[in-house]
Amino acid sequence: MSKPQGSNVKERAKSALKDEFLIDAVKFTTERLKNGKKAATAEHGNWEEWRERGRQIRLHTIAHLDYYLSQFIANARAQGVHVHFAPEAKDAARIAVEIAKHRGAKSVVKSKSMVSEEVHINEAFEKLGIESIESDLGEYIIQLANEPPSHIIIPAIHKNRYQIAELLSKEAGETLPPETKILAGFARRKLRDKFLEADIGLTGCNFGIAETGSVVIFENEGNARMVSTVPKTQITLMGMERLIPSWDDLEVMATLLPRSATGQKLTVYMSGITGPRRENDGDGPEEMHIIIVDNGRSLQLGDPDFQELLNCIRCGACLNACPVYRHIGGHSYPGTYSGPIGAVLTPALNKNTQEWQDIANASSLCGACYEACPVKIPLHDMLVYLRNRKVERGYTASGEKMAMQGFKLLMGSHKWFRQAVKAGQIGQKLLVRDGYIRSQIGPLGGWTAYRHIPALPKRSFREQWAGLSSEVEKSIRPMPDEMKKRMEQTVQARGKGGHHA
Amino acid sequence: MSKSDPAFLAKLSKESQEAEKLFIGNIASRLGRSAISPLPAHPFRGAPEFWTSYELEREERIARFMSNWQAAGGFTERADSMSEIPDIVARILGELNAKSTIRQNLPELKQLGLEERLPELRHDAWDSLDAEGSLRTAEQADAGIVLADYAVAYTGSMIVMSSADKGRSVSLLPNILIAIISADRMYTRLGEVMSRVAAVPGDQFPAGIHFISGPSRSSDIENDLTIGVHGPGVAYALIVG
Repeated sequence: MSKPQGSNVKERAKSALKDEFLIDAVKFTTERLKNGKKAATAEHGNWEEWRERGRQIRLHTIAHLDYYLSQFIANARAQGVHVHFAPEAKDAARIAVEIAKHRGAKSVVKSKSMVSEEVHINEAFEKLGIESIESDLGEYIIQLANEPPSHIIIPAIHKNRYQIAELLSKEAGETLPPETKILAGFARRKLRDKFLEADIGLTGCNFGIAETGSVVIFENEGNARMVSTVPKTQITLMGMERLIPSWDDLEVMATLLPRSATGQKLTVYMSGITGPRRENDGDGPEEMHIIIVDNGRSLQLGDPDFQELLNCIRCGACLNACPVYRHIGGHSYPGTYSGPIGAVLTPALNKNTQEWQDIANASSLCGACYEACPVKIPLHDMLVYLRNRKVERGYTASGEKMAMQGFKLLMGSHKWFRQAVKAGQIGQKLLVRDGYIRSQIGPLGGWTAYRHIPALPKRSFREQWAGLSSEVEKSIRPMPDEMKKRMEQTVQARGKGGHHA
Repeated sequence: MSKSDPAFLAKLSKESQEAEKLFIGNIASRLGRSAISPLPAHPFRGAPEFWTSYELEREERIARFMSNWQAAGGFTERADSMSEIPDIVARILGELNAKSTIRQNLPELKQLGLEERLPELRHDAWDSLDAEGSLRTAEQADAGIVLADYAVAYTGSMIVMSSADKGRSVSLLPNILIAIISADRMYTRLGEVMSRVAAVPGDQFPAGIHFISGPSRSSDIENDLTIGVHGPGVAYALIVG
């Protein structure tokens, strides 16, 4: 099986769970990445202080995004960059295609760019007969398999080396053994020629530095350096929120990103590219274009629940930490981004309220994503906000709606509640075995399919309260003022987004 | 055709100016402002305060750099002065059976005298006047020899900044990278190099600034580490001083 099938998360997850290769591969690699991060952050020390600093820098930049983006644009132009704006995905593809057509390009060589996946750039080039080749090893593998990436950092995380050997053998026209070194060696030789003949190099962008108009790219293979060194024209796709104010701030991002992604102190290459080659330089692009992409990002600005989503630095740590992602893999999620960040980002960017029902529920709200996030994005809270909005906009399933209305009725009146508990205590007698209800009859099935319901006790808590309350009164201690104040502040701040200078 | 038609670029530029107003205007208005934010105070700039005073002693710095570079899969050598470097380079090239080298066009590297010492090998220096030829030479060379602009001990990184004499291809295309690093230009933290980079005036700012922390690698197949995917697979750091 190559890719989980189904029209929603539940169906795709079910199909993924039957694929043992996929489950083993994803579990194995996420575990390794997670342990790598743990070791690297422990070794570096003071991780919480670094996280907080990273969060503050991102909050600050997004709160003043109009200023920093304008500064970035002015500085990039001063270095000779042609800057373009893509309010929507299709605009980014249109601009890139227009440049490629004007250049008479026959081939484009790409380094890793999640934004390019968002705007389906390969399809746009191919429609014109322009070859568009992924050069990151993982991206190259999934391009050959004709699949989208299933992890932000390790795009082919769902494939094992036997499957990869099969794909590359087809490309090689001979049988390659399933050995990592040989497979990578084949990709190196094959792609080296592509780099040398490509008319256009297309890159993504990890950070844009406002004070100098520089594009910063983190990578390990050297393919992004190839893409930005050899072809005559460079096109960089940049999400409009990728900015940081200064090179000083890059030290913080360079501390957080590689450690969170793979546990490295720094990726093998971190390149700052500032404009096309200088007049006397012998290599680097002669012409450089940066396409700044919105594609739903600006909708999060000014939204207290979701603005912090733009702080994301795309490290993938939340995927590796997520018990749901680790079981169902990236292809069970709709859209380009998977895992906890994808579950929030995809509906947010696509404005697709109906899809919220589906993805926002693919989470246990355990908060492991928040713990893992190097810039402390409260993803688990955002999933709850998504569920709230889903209910407000009436996209709840009819059974759930009825159940909630019944619940409201019961909880609104102590008489109704008391009688319902009594009825339950009598009615359950038919279903209870050893203190648990296991039956999957009717509406119970949704719950009991995966767990048992404890039986209602003979005397309910409410019935015991008269006796219990006097006991509690005796033992209770008043809450310290300081604690009370702090809790009140917490309640007040809830749902108002991050604070920043 | 190396650059686009000026009329085409002028058209793009006009479209860009118009689109920018709407694009930035939309961001400002979403943030509740009618005009672009003025220069904001940035109280959280750069690394946390406790970090900015962290500094290793010279010998510790060198030791830390070497252990990081080795942990990343690279090789290190230490020399007291530049006069020892030619022997070391010749030995490395011999061991790896290299047939050709390309180096940055710098006097320090010319003074290594590789042409005289290893006349049976082909040696080239980066020549920006023959850009196409230099690219081909670098692509076919077995080893690229560079002088690092800076190094960072804590992350085990060396930094090369591009210029007419320092082609980016030299540290990228050959399978062997030999980087000569002066211990005087090695700092403890990334931030010390960042501030030096940011201080370069705009009209002298290099197009490519590359932080390199070992040989090229990939973990894209089963997270199994492979060395030397697109960039150099053998990376030597020779520390002088």
